[in-house]
Amino acid sequence: MCGISGYIGEGIAPADGESAAGDGAAGDGGGFARVGDIVHEGLHNLEYRGYDSAGVALVGEASGLTVAKRSGEVDNLTVPDVADAALGIGHTRWSTHGPPTDENAHPHTDCVGDIAVVHNGIVENHEALKAELSDHEFTSDTDTEVIPHLIEEELAAASDAGDLLDAVRAVESRLEGSYAICAVREDDDRIVVARRGSPLVLGHDEDATFVASDVTAFLEHTRDATYLEDGDVASLSAEGVEVYADGELVDRETETVTWEADAAEKGGYEHYMRKEIHEQPESLRQTIAGRLDVDAGDADLDTSFPPGFLADLEEIQIVACGTSNYAGRYAAQLFEDLSGVRATVETASEYEFGAGRSADRTLVVAVTQSGETADTLGAIRRANAAGARTFAVTNTLGSTVTREVDDTAFIRAGPEIGVAATKTFASQVATLAMLAVAIGRERGALAAADARPVLEGLRDLPGAVQQVLDNEDAVREAATEYGDSEAFFFVGRQLGVPVALEGALKLKEISYDHAEGFAAGELKHGPLALVTPETPVLAVLTEGGRADETMNNVTEAQTRGAPAIGCVSAGDKYATLDVSLPVPDVGVVEPLVANVYLQLFAYHVANDKGRSIDKPRNLAKSVTVE
Amino acid sequence: MGIDSVTAVILAAGEGRRLAPLTNRRPKPMVPVANRPLLEHVIEAITATAIDRIVLVVGYEQERIRNHFGDGDDWGVTIEYVEQSTQLGTGHAVLQAEPVVDGPFVVLNGDRIVDPAVVSHVRDRAIDDDLPAMTVTTAANPRQYGVVTLDGDRVTDIDEKPEGTVETNQINAGVYAFSPAVFDAIRETHVAGELAITATLNDLAATETLSAVRYDGRWLDVSNLWDLLTVNAALIGDSGASNADGPAFGDSVTVADDAALAGNVRVGPNVTIGGSTAVGSNATIEAGAVVENAVIFPDAVIGAGAVVRDAIVAGNARIGPNATVAGGPATVVVGDAVHRGVELGGVVGDNATVGSGATLADGAIVGDDVTADAGVVIDGRVESGAVVRRG
Repeated sequence: MCGISGYIGEGIAPADGESAAGDGAAGDGGGFARVGDIVHEGLHNLEYRGYDSAGVALVGEASGLTVAKRSGEVDNLTVPDVADAALGIGHTRWSTHGPPTDENAHPHTDCVGDIAVVHNGIVENHEALKAELSDHEFTSDTDTEVIPHLIEEELAAASDAGDLLDAVRAVESRLEGSYAICAVREDDDRIVVARRGSPLVLGHDEDATFVASDVTAFLEHTRDATYLEDGDVASLSAEGVEVYADGELVDRETETVTWEADAAEKGGYEHYMRKEIHEQPESLRQTIAGRLDVDAGDADLDTSFPPGFLADLEEIQIVACGTSNYAGRYAAQLFEDLSGVRATVETASEYEFGAGRSADRTLVVAVTQSGETADTLGAIRRANAAGARTFAVTNTLGSTVTREVDDTAFIRAGPEIGVAATKTFASQVATLAMLAVAIGRERGALAAADARPVLEGLRDLPGAVQQVLDNEDAVREAATEYGDSEAFFFVGRQLGVPVALEGALKLKEISYDHAEGFAAGELKHGPLALVTPETPVLAVLTEGGRADETMNNVTEAQTRGAPAIGCVSAGDKYATLDVSLPVPDVGVVEPLVANVYLQLFAYHVANDKGRSIDKPRNLAKSVTVE
Repeated sequence: MGIDSVTAVILAAGEGRRLAPLTNRRPKPMVPVANRPLLEHVIEAITATAIDRIVLVVGYEQERIRNHFGDGDDWGVTIEYVEQSTQLGTGHAVLQAEPVVDGPFVVLNGDRIVDPAVVSHVRDRAIDDDLPAMTVTTAANPRQYGVVTLDGDRVTDIDEKPEGTVETNQINAGVYAFSPAVFDAIRETHVAGELAITATLNDLAATETLSAVRYDGRWLDVSNLWDLLTVNAALIGDSGASNADGPAFGDSVTVADDAALAGNVRVGPNVTIGGSTAVGSNATIEAGAVVENAVIFPDAVIGAGAVVRDAIVAGNARIGPNATVAGGPATVVVGDAVHRGVELGGVVGDNATVGSGATLADGAIVGDDVTADAGVVIDGRVESGAVVRRG
């Protein structure tokens, strides 16, 4: 999914009414927003539609056409300072096919650089069209790039300089697929747009017009919107808007948008985090699609290790930060159990390739949602320098980490907007579990019969997570009952330890409560001193987590008055628990399913307290500084 | 009045208890046919017209709906949500849309599939301000629906599920066009019990002109569990061979042309997937199994050698190896009504496990979370969460 934002007008004066519009020195007016700023702000509002590359094109009478684009989030894009810009278009992209490079970012231009186009959708016949444009120079892998070149061709064929509107209309009729397009041209004071299949909406403000994929782009400036229909081509100029359908000028109704911006982006959910928690069955189906062969007892991540590398492998080192680090800790146990390889987890910022290892027998696995985490990239560079083979597990096609490692496995969780990682943790662990099986099988360390229960557990994971989501009311009640406690302790053993750590991290990130996670056995080595009736204990009591032993530790806390909430394997019962949440039978991934309860608990505690759940204070989604 | 300003309001708040156990954890509009929820088929009928703003009235298990449809981007429309927190009837549901509707609008049911043509007709009435209007179609069994009496193109009476003989087979197709004036009319409707939109329509028919839009196109209603199989078959038949882009299987696997398989289905060797069958995302059909005229929901597993005919297998359910749902005409009891001779081999609810070698007698309905041991014979209805043992 991609987002389009465009604006034509004289800029927007600050709310206090200081009139800076219209004169050449507008840019110096305090708080005055220029065309580039407004387009950029629109992209910001559309960032939920994708955020792996962004770009703008600005047109001014003297300055001509200025294009700036780059991979990375909208914030990373520096909008060029074009004081005389009268109009601009912009784009934010989430690549699913083809990497988010600077070249592939929109806008795309023609050979000369006079025409710039942003596009949302798919040009299905781009190969055929490209073949007809053999004398044109293409600089990207995108389907979009044919559009500016086709426009260029149309304009060149016209008698005089040609007309942009006519050219877009001619080109539009040749495109197959779905699209929303905005095109601009040097020495032209119009934005020409077209829609078929992908959304495009115009916003009308005093002496200005917005265009966007979604009204959220401009809702803070105007609520008067015109939704274009399929086949519409429109010309936006200082004089206003003209919409054409089948070559005829048509009148499209203007509506007043009455609803709030936030609701649109989140599909009616209050927060991205809750939306993303609920997306987990579907995102996990994507994660495992085509990768499990239960009958053969194998998993296929399309990896290609050199012959003999896995057989000689001595150690897998996982480098990661935060939630990804906990996914790594879960996986490390699976690598040892299933792959028969010593596995360690390092905090990426602390990682060094230590002594006593042989680099050619070490695999360093970076786990990073964004693929841009600076600490993790640093660790990978140190591993590469030491001569180790490197591997990335990430959600982001074409991200920096994928260019720095030898192999990559994508977790396919789709864009995650909430700062608190939820669905990506589940998909990271599932992907790493498949990697553990694949390596174990290739090394001969894992029999098909022993792999099968793990693969069946992965296969059944989406359905199991759905059952937890169906039980959300029970978690909501527990959150209401215990949310006001002084502190929260999360405990588990074995695979329950990383989940306890992750559960505590989730709660502290979004509710700002004091929460700690640790191995249940550690309770008596110190933390028990903190336990009171005001400190609930949340425990992972499932298969893969040595549930009975963990329950003994929970009981130690309960005798000090602490309430206890347990995620318990279906069929098992611990009668003394204050709240017991059933986890379906999925073997070694049961703690991963239990984690969904802990995500919901953190969400509801924070929501009851009115916290800023999607953007917790002091935190950013992708930490690109060390 | 421009086309742009017509909003479609879809009623999707109801539970659909007659479809239990499928509706124990999902609202009826989210029950899948041809691998997509009923509601998605309704939304696609709307997006095929020029309407690009949809308001979904949601309530029961609404997360499932919000999660699937989001803000409508994937369908090229804007979807907004209003909540009907207690299900007090279809009129009450329409009333919930009042704060977000300020012009003429059309109303559809989220669980009844219609052709785009009827949506266009009704939308045109809205544009022409010929309101209120309702669609009228014909049915072989009119007494199950609202029987409509017409005077020319004017509706004079709607009789909900009348007893005794009826003089016409014209029924209410459940697609309406209203102006915002209808909200006051709903408020002024006095009924005992549920506030049905048809009660308001009857009031309107008596006091002003309620015009009829005749419709003789497709109209697929899932009233009972077995309807799911016929509607599924009809929709798969319409779309033709839908597996062109689907997964490729070995030579030993037979897949009928009129079977619809999601892209990430796992199919073992020597499997036969017969006609009128839909297999959902992440489902598994193990070696040698035979599946025919069936709706298999996402994440379900059909065990090796199992035979599943005329059956519905809900999400994440397990059919054990060599278990049998033989299929064929059955007698099914829904509430107080006994239905004889319906084509329903059996239904297995979400997360239920049917043990290896077990047999479902014709028309057996296994609730969600049921565990049935190996070799049992299941007859009639098994309540949710029950354990069926040999004995």
